[in-house]
Amino acid sequence: MRCFLIGILALAPLLANARDLVPEPNRIELDNGAVFLLVEKRDVPLIGIEAIISGGAITDPSGMAGMSELVASLMQKGAGERSAQAFVEAVAAVGGELTASAALESIAISGEFLSRDADLMVELFADMLIRPTMSAAEMTKLRDRKINAIRVVKDTNLVSLLPAYGSAFLFGEHPYANPVAGSEASLQRIEYRDVMRYFRDTVVPNNAIIAVVGDFDSAEMERLLTAAFADWEPQEPTENALVEPTPEPAGRVLLVNKPGTTQSYFWLGAGGVAIDYPQRAELDVANTLLGGRYTSLLNNALRVESGLTYGAHSRLIRPSRRGLVYLYSYTQTETTIEAIDMMIDVLESFRADGVDAEMLASAQNYIRGQYAPRFETSAQLARALAMIEHMGLTRDHISGYVEAVGATTIEAVNEVVRTVYPSRKELTFIILGDAEVIRDQVARYGEVTEISITDPSFKIQKSPD
Amino acid sequence: MALFAELRRRNVLKVALLYVIASWLALWFVQNTGDVLGMPPWAYSATLIALTIGFPIALAFAWMYEITPAGLKKSVDVDQTQSIVYKTGQKLNSAVAVLLVLGALALIGEGLLPKFEFPVFGPPEGDAPTSQSTPPEIRSLVLDNGLKIIVWPDHDIPNVAMYNFVRAGGRNEYPGITGLAHFFEHMMFNGTENHGPGEFDRLMEAAGSENNAFTTPDITVYTNRFPKTALQTVIELEADRLENLAIDPEMVERERGAVQSERRTAIDNNNLQLLFEQLLATAFVAHPYQFPVLGWPSDIASWTQEDLEQFFETYYAPNNCVMVFTGDVTPAEVFSLAVDHFEPISSQEPPAAIRTIEPEQRGVRRVLVEADAQTPMLQLGFHAGSVRDPLNIPLTLLLRILAGDESSRLHQLLVEEQQSAVSVGSLAPNGFDPWLAFFYLILPPDGDPQAVEETILAELSRTAIEGVTEEELTKAKNIMMAEHWRNLATIDGKAAALGNFEVYFGSYEALFAESERIEAVTVEQLKEAATIFRENNMTVGVLQPRRDEP
Repeated sequence: MRCFLIGILALAPLLANARDLVPEPNRIELDNGAVFLLVEKRDVPLIGIEAIISGGAITDPSGMAGMSELVASLMQKGAGERSAQAFVEAVAAVGGELTASAALESIAISGEFLSRDADLMVELFADMLIRPTMSAAEMTKLRDRKINAIRVVKDTNLVSLLPAYGSAFLFGEHPYANPVAGSEASLQRIEYRDVMRYFRDTVVPNNAIIAVVGDFDSAEMERLLTAAFADWEPQEPTENALVEPTPEPAGRVLLVNKPGTTQSYFWLGAGGVAIDYPQRAELDVANTLLGGRYTSLLNNALRVESGLTYGAHSRLIRPSRRGLVYLYSYTQTETTIEAIDMMIDVLESFRADGVDAEMLASAQNYIRGQYAPRFETSAQLARALAMIEHMGLTRDHISGYVEAVGATTIEAVNEVVRTVYPSRKELTFIILGDAEVIRDQVARYGEVTEISITDPSFKIQKSPD
Repeated sequence: MALFAELRRRNVLKVALLYVIASWLALWFVQNTGDVLGMPPWAYSATLIALTIGFPIALAFAWMYEITPAGLKKSVDVDQTQSIVYKTGQKLNSAVAVLLVLGALALIGEGLLPKFEFPVFGPPEGDAPTSQSTPPEIRSLVLDNGLKIIVWPDHDIPNVAMYNFVRAGGRNEYPGITGLAHFFEHMMFNGTENHGPGEFDRLMEAAGSENNAFTTPDITVYTNRFPKTALQTVIELEADRLENLAIDPEMVERERGAVQSERRTAIDNNNLQLLFEQLLATAFVAHPYQFPVLGWPSDIASWTQEDLEQFFETYYAPNNCVMVFTGDVTPAEVFSLAVDHFEPISSQEPPAAIRTIEPEQRGVRRVLVEADAQTPMLQLGFHAGSVRDPLNIPLTLLLRILAGDESSRLHQLLVEEQQSAVSVGSLAPNGFDPWLAFFYLILPPDGDPQAVEETILAELSRTAIEGVTEEELTKAKNIMMAEHWRNLATIDGKAAALGNFEVYFGSYEALFAESERIEAVTVEQLKEAATIFRENNMTVGVLQPRRDEP
C-alpha cells in the first residue's frame, strides 16, 4: 500500500516553482575594490545596469546642496573620446538609456539597452564613470539649467516641493536637510574647482557597486566588465561619519507664500526611523493603512468622505540613519484649516485605536500582492541588487519580506504605530499657499516662520544650504 | 506461501498491477485535461483520494469473485476444475501491456507532440492569433454581448494586470458636459447596487489589488494590478460596476469636490497644463478635442444626474469595452469567469459616431496666458493626422529627431548651443481623430518667446525642404524599437500595449507588426510628414509671467 501511494504521489504535479524575487547574483570584486553583481535573465532581449556610488546629498559640501546631483549630470556631458553631443548621440543611436542622478545617500548611474548593444553600452558606461570630460563650460551651463529647473517646479508642481522645505526645516544643520537637487542659492555657490574635487573624492571604484541583469552570458559579461573597469584607480576612502540627526524642536510652522494660489499644500512631519529598523514589516503595514494606499485612513477621510482633496498620503523616509515620517495633502485655500485639522484627527485616532484584525489582513494582502511587480524587469532587479549591497543588507531584505509581512500581528503593529508616528505636539508643519489669506489661521499650529516661494533657498538661513 | 500462490491463482496481483497503472493514467488525464474540460482545481486530489480508497476494494473484489463462462461468481462457489482464471489472467496481462504502452505514449507525447486539444465543453478556448509574428499563447474571445477579452499568459511573477478600455473620452463631450468622461471615471469607484460607496476599493485592496483609472481625449482606461489569487474577486467586482453602477447623488457631490481639487492641482497650479489647455482651445474651433479632459470649471460645478445616467448607458456597454488580462493566468480560467460574470450584461446600441471634422486652418493662431510664474513657456501645435494616418509613424519618428531626447536637433540648438530654452519636448498625434504635432518649451526667466519661435520655425522649414539624414532616421527607429521592448518587459506594459492596439488599430495583433512598420519608414516619408510645418497651420501659445500692477 505504501509503495502504491508513493508511486502515485510521485506523479503529482510539482508545485509551481515561483522564482526567487531577487536571484542570487554572481559576485565579482576587482582589485581596485569595485564590486559587480551579475544575474542572467533572458525573457526579453534587454539588459539593465546600475552603479551605486556612496555619496549623494549627505556628502554635498557645506552650503553647496545639489553638488552630487550636478556632478552626476556632468558625468553624462561627454566621456572618453566623445564630446557631450557625441556621447548622447551614441546612446540614442542604439535606442539605449543611460542616466546619472543623485539621491540622499548615493549617486546612481542607470542604463537599459538591447542586449545586442552590450559592448558599446558597457564602454559608454565605463567611460562615464572613469573618464568623464567634466568640462567647465558644460558645468556652468548645467548649473544654470538646474537653477531654472527649480523655478520651473515652483511654477508647475507645488506638491513636489513639500519634502525639500520639510527636510530643511526639520533637520536644521544635519546633512539630511540638504535638498538633493539643491536650491537656486546653493547651486549658484558651486564653482568648477569644487565640482572636480567632489568628483575625484567620490566617484571611485572602492565606493562603487555595479549590478548587471538581463539577457547575457555571465562569463562573457564578466570578461567585458573586468576589461572595462580594471584600470579604474582607487582612492583612499574619505571619512564619512554621518551622525544621527537630531530633529529641530516640533510645534513650528513654515509658511511658504505663493500669492494668488487657489490651493494650500500642507506637510506634517517628524523624525522617523532608519533602514535597519527591526519592525520594518509592521511599520509598512501601519503606513499602508494610515496613508499608503487609496483606502487609507487619510485618503478616506480627506478625499472619499469629504471631497476636500484629490489625495492624502503618509510617507516614510528610511535612510542609513534616523529619517522622516510625514503626512501631506492639499485643498482649496478656504478649507486649509478644516483639512489640516482633519489630518491631525486621523493621525491621533490611528495612534489611539491602532489596527484591528480586518485592517491587518487587508494591509498584509495588499503589500504582498503588490510586491513582486517591483522586481519584474532587469533594470528593477539591477537597482535592487545594487541597493541591497550599498545599504549593507542581505537578499533576505527582499526575499524574506513577504513572509515577514505575513507574520505581523495586531499587537506588534500597534506598538509600532504608537512609537513611530508622532503625536500632535511632536509635529512640524510646512504650509504652502496664499499667506495673505491663511497667515493668521495657521498660527494655531505653532510659531510661524514665513518665506516666499521665490526665495532662492528652501531653508531659513542660519547657515547656507 | 500458500496464500501467495492463491493470490496469484486468483489474479489478485495482476489486478493490483492493472489498478496501479490505470490509476496513474487516470491521474495523468485529469492533470493534463482538467483546465480544458473546466474541471474544478480540486479534481486532481479528489481523483487521487477516490482511487486510493478503491484500491483495497478492487483487491478484495478480485479475491472474492471470479469470472466464469456463466458470469461473475463467488470464487468459493466455482468448481476449481472449471475455473478459467488462467484465461482471465492472460486477458489481464494484455490489459496491463496495453495500458503500459498507452502510458508510455502519453509520457512521450507530452514532451514531443503538440498539446492535445479537446473539443470545448466548458469554457471557450478563445481564438488563437492569426499572424505569425504574434506570440502563439495569446487568446482572444468576443462574448455574445460584444465584450472582447484578450489574454496573454506570462508566469514570470505570480501577478496579473487587467485593463478595461472603454471607448469614451473627452471627444464624446459637448459644451455643458465637458469633463464628464473623466468625472465618470471617478464615479465608477463610488458604489453599485450591491456594494456601497468605497466598497469596491476596500474589497479590491483587501484582496491585494491596486486599482486606478485614467481618461484621455479618446478613451477611459481602468487598471487592476493584483496577485493571481484575486482574479475572481477582480472579475466579480468589475462586472458588478459595469452592470449595477449606482450613481448616488450624494457621492456625485463629494466627487465634484475631489475633481475640483484635481483640476486646481493639475491645471490651475501647473503652468504647463494651463497653457496647453488654452492652446488646444485655440487650435481646435470645431472638433471636441478643444475641450480639456478635466472639463471647464463651470461644467464640473453643474453637470446633472441625468447627464451622468445618460453617459453611463451610452458608453459603459460591454460592446464598447475591451478587456485585457496579462500575467499569471490561463485563457481558460479567465474566459470561464468572464462567461459567468460579464456575459449576462446586456449590450447597447453603439454610441453615435463623432461627425465633426476640424476645418482647415487658414492662418496662424496665437494665444497668450499671463500667470504667476518665474519661467515663460512656449508651445507650438501643427494640425496633423490621426493615429491611423499612414504618415503617423513617419511623423512620430520626425518629432523624435526634432525634439525627442537630448540628442535631438532642437534640444542641441536651443538648450545646449543657444541656451535660449531650459527644455524642449514634443508629442505626436495619437488619437482616433486628427490631432496636433506639438512642441512644448520652457524658457529661462529672461527668455524671449518670439526669438525662440523664429528659430524653431527656421529649423522646421529647413527640415521640410532638406529632410533628415539616414543616420537620424536609424537613431529614431532604434529608440522606438527599444521602447517597444521595454514596454513588453512587464505584465503591466503588455496589458497597456495590447489594449491600445486593439482599440486604436482594430486588432491587438497590430502590436506585433509595429516593428516592421517602423523599419519600413523612409527619409522621403519623413520629408512628406514635414509638410505640416507651415505657419498658416500653426497655433502658438505663450505663457508670460504676470507683470506687477503699477
